Amino acid sequence: MAELTVETRDVEGVTLLYPKGFINAHTVLLFEREIQKALAQGQFKIVVNCAGLSYIASAGLGAIMGAIEEIRGNGGDLRLANLNETVRNIFEILGFNHLYRIYASEVEAITSFRSAAGAGSS
Amino acid sequence: MARAKPSLMLSIPSQTSFLSLVREVTKKMAESAGFSDGTADRLALAVDEATTNVIEHAYHGSGDREVELRIEDRGPEFRVEVVDDGTTVDPRAVPRVDLGRYVSERRTGGLGVHLMEKIMDSVTFRRTARRNVCTLVKRKESSRAR
Repeated sequence: MAELTVETRDVEGVTLLYPKGFINAHTVLLFEREIQKALAQGQFKIVVNCAGLSYIASAGLGAIMGAIEEIRGNGGDLRLANLNETVRNIFEILGFNHLYRIYASEVEAITSFRSAAGAGSS
Repeated sequence: MARAKPSLMLSIPSQTSFLSLVREVTKKMAESAGFSDGTADRLALAVDEATTNVIEHAYHGSGDREVELRIEDRGPEFRVEVVDDGTTVDPRAVPRVDLGRYVSERRTGGLGVHLMEKIMDSVTFRRTARRNVCTLVKRKESSRAR
């Protein structure tokens, strides 16, 4: 069984990423590649739906941090949805909940881009 | 006679593909020691980070070395030692985490040590017999409040 898979789809101009499994130093390249793929296509509104994500280590958080400036610099944002307790807790431990917008559901995260022309960061 | 508390020693190749095993073993041991599911997950993350540090910094990504893990339920505390014989990395040289600067300067290093320190009650590094030992300790008493 793959340790991580990342499916993607576009909805209303928002790129959705679905990491399934866990993100650590071993699997992070796949996650990073999917983010970079979106950026290369000029997609800067990104939602990471974490429903299938059981675990994220600092390597995965680093991948998000490494891309966020380019994303926000292009008027977009990377937002997160459906964090399980473990993943939410890791975000809180690091204070990432103050740096990134986190939504209870994917729909809320997508619609959040409609307000204020979809730009901005928390 | 009191039953001995569980302890486990594990030696893995210095390859990130073994991190999932490290996580599973640590979580199992933490649960056996009586930690909640959530705390056991966090302890597994801290040990994952310590092992990743060894692979990436002490061994510079070389996959033919060995990382030794000693996981012990010591009664009042849960203790994990991560041992390597690679380059000594001075944890004091790791810059403290400043999240604002992380975003503006695109810095991503140092997060692992920061996470370890946030999760554990103590994280210490020492050099002994030409080996580096990172010791992670979580007191059972302290975990009740988290």
